[in-house]
Amino acid sequence: MSQTTPSSSSNAIVIRDLVVDYGPRRILDGVSLDVPAGKIMVIMGGSGTGKSTLLRCMLGLKKPTSGSIEMLGTDLRRASKKQMYALRKQMGVAFQGGALFSSMTVAENIQLALREHTKLDDNTMQIMTRIKLDMVNMLPHEHLMPSELSGGMTKRTALARALIMDPKLLFFDEPSAGLDPVTSAEIDDLILMLRNTLGMTIVVVTHELESAFKIADNITILGKGIVLETGTPQQIRLSEKPEIQALLNRQPRETIVDTDAHLRALTGESDDAKDED
Amino acid sequence: MECSIKAESSYDLLSVSGEVDLQYSPQLREKILASLKAGRPLLIDLAGVSYIDSSGIASLVEGYQAAKSAKLGYGLMNISQTAMQVLTLTRLDRIFQIYASAADFEQRA
Amino acid sequence: MLNRIENLGTGTLRLFEEAGRTFNLLLLVAWQLVQPPYRLYPIVRQIYFIGARSLTVIVISGATIGMVLGLQFYNILERFGSVNLLGSGVALSVVREIGPIMTALMVVGRAGSAMCAELGIMRITEQVDALECMAINPDKHLVMPRVIAGLLSVPLLTAIFNFVAIYGGYFVGVIMFGMAEGSYMNGMTDAIEWEDVRLGLVKSLIFGVLITLICCAKGYYMHLTRAGSQGAEGVSHVTTDAVVLASVSILFADFIIGALMS
Repeated sequence: MSQTTPSSSSNAIVIRDLVVDYGPRRILDGVSLDVPAGKIMVIMGGSGTGKSTLLRCMLGLKKPTSGSIEMLGTDLRRASKKQMYALRKQMGVAFQGGALFSSMTVAENIQLALREHTKLDDNTMQIMTRIKLDMVNMLPHEHLMPSELSGGMTKRTALARALIMDPKLLFFDEPSAGLDPVTSAEIDDLILMLRNTLGMTIVVVTHELESAFKIADNITILGKGIVLETGTPQQIRLSEKPEIQALLNRQPRETIVDTDAHLRALTGESDDAKDED
Repeated sequence: MECSIKAESSYDLLSVSGEVDLQYSPQLREKILASLKAGRPLLIDLAGVSYIDSSGIASLVEGYQAAKSAKLGYGLMNISQTAMQVLTLTRLDRIFQIYASAADFEQRA
Repeated sequence: MLNRIENLGTGTLRLFEEAGRTFNLLLLVAWQLVQPPYRLYPIVRQIYFIGARSLTVIVISGATIGMVLGLQFYNILERFGSVNLLGSGVALSVVREIGPIMTALMVVGRAGSAMCAELGIMRITEQVDALECMAINPDKHLVMPRVIAGLLSVPLLTAIFNFVAIYGGYFVGVIMFGMAEGSYMNGMTDAIEWEDVRLGLVKSLIFGVLITLICCAKGYYMHLTRAGSQGAEGVSHVTTDAVVLASVSILFADFIIGALMS
């Protein structure tokens, strides 16, 4: 499909009918999504629903089988390598595992993009780095190596690195995975502050319900390669779809109805064997 | 970004306007440091600044640093709301001396 | 039976696929070579890593091999009463053949394996993706410095190996067996011609690129193979593969170059 979507300036990201196949498996099956500029979009879904694939497509790391993605007015399908790099200078990405460069200190990690892309004075770069470090509360640890950092420190460093070029668009993959509640709440506050004061458009991929509802302006819930539901947190709460309600309430799994079937499943006896009995 | 310097009787007034970003902040930095190097107190008027990124903020901090070591007066004024938000976010609003007017600066510097 | 043929088929396909990727990486690196700006520091760092830190092992193996050659040649030549050819024998075999090969194999073991593992880890921990997302070309930032460093370091290491090995032969011939110093050295300078040196140099240049390219490609493209989903275990798999493949390729290339150039 190559319809030209009216790229309204109010949407930072416009995704239409995105399909991604990995070999014979279809990971995303027609995902459409709008991320309004200056808002926080939280993409939720269990593992295997394709949320990481969706993120990789948005970052231009994965070419979709079909469908279109428009980021800040750039159509990723038609973007040349040069345009892609220009776009990426306006994007910051904090990866799930931090993806810090292990041969560099915390400060060097954060500075790398500045060193590569700007001709700023060394002193200016130092101060910019320290400003970002201070924002994420990592200032005392600037000389540590990534291997010496705890999980929370790694996440915060990754965030500082994502912010160094003052991006318009921030992607955050699983900000609270593996963190204690206090650190995770700190990161949530920081995300909110970035939107409020700098007007950043932020896309957060997470499976943490609580943090999602705390920070989101809009939530998109993925299920098996499709968008189950999208809307404001309020709309999501009021959704009548059973999958959504199941997700929200974290109900225990259905109580066993068919005991025979359950026993068969556990013992591995086939249906045929049962019939012969 | 536009940035022009005017020599007042006892200090330099640097008026900045437009977008201060990665591309232009080196110019701002140069102007700030040049004025301080000449031994003049410096007041920076940020009235026309529509956007300032962290490289711009860092340049202001460098100026502060230089002024402090040279024991010169250094102040900001007419900070727009967006710029103020960035300063607050980075907790620099408490470090910089922010003046309401040029007269105010002249009096205290 | 059919299954086995099928496996052979997929195995061959995979081999071609990987060969294609490796060659593609060579083209990408070559393309990056003509794309300014250039950064010296990453290349220097890799030269230090490949070159300086392989020095000890090169010197030790060079001395040992030189002494072994001296010993063997002395024994053989003595039977024909032409011990004065010892210097030429050692020098020719080292410069033409043994120097480039042994150095290359040592570099594979010492630096190639580490290079592959490092890039493999960078790939699976999303560091390569992070570079890409910072608008920094990972081909240029990660692979190119390593290939250039290989191209520069391996010939230099080979020269050092040759030097040490020739003196290892000297030690055996002159000091252990008491042959005249002049006959060792003079014989050598007479026998070695520019062609021999050129052959050794061409070999070591090609080996340098071959080692770094194969080892880099194995780690760098690890996500495209089955090992990509196996985490740390996958890294150890690709590293072993890289060492084996690089070593075999060196031996094979050695024969081809030898056949073409003589």
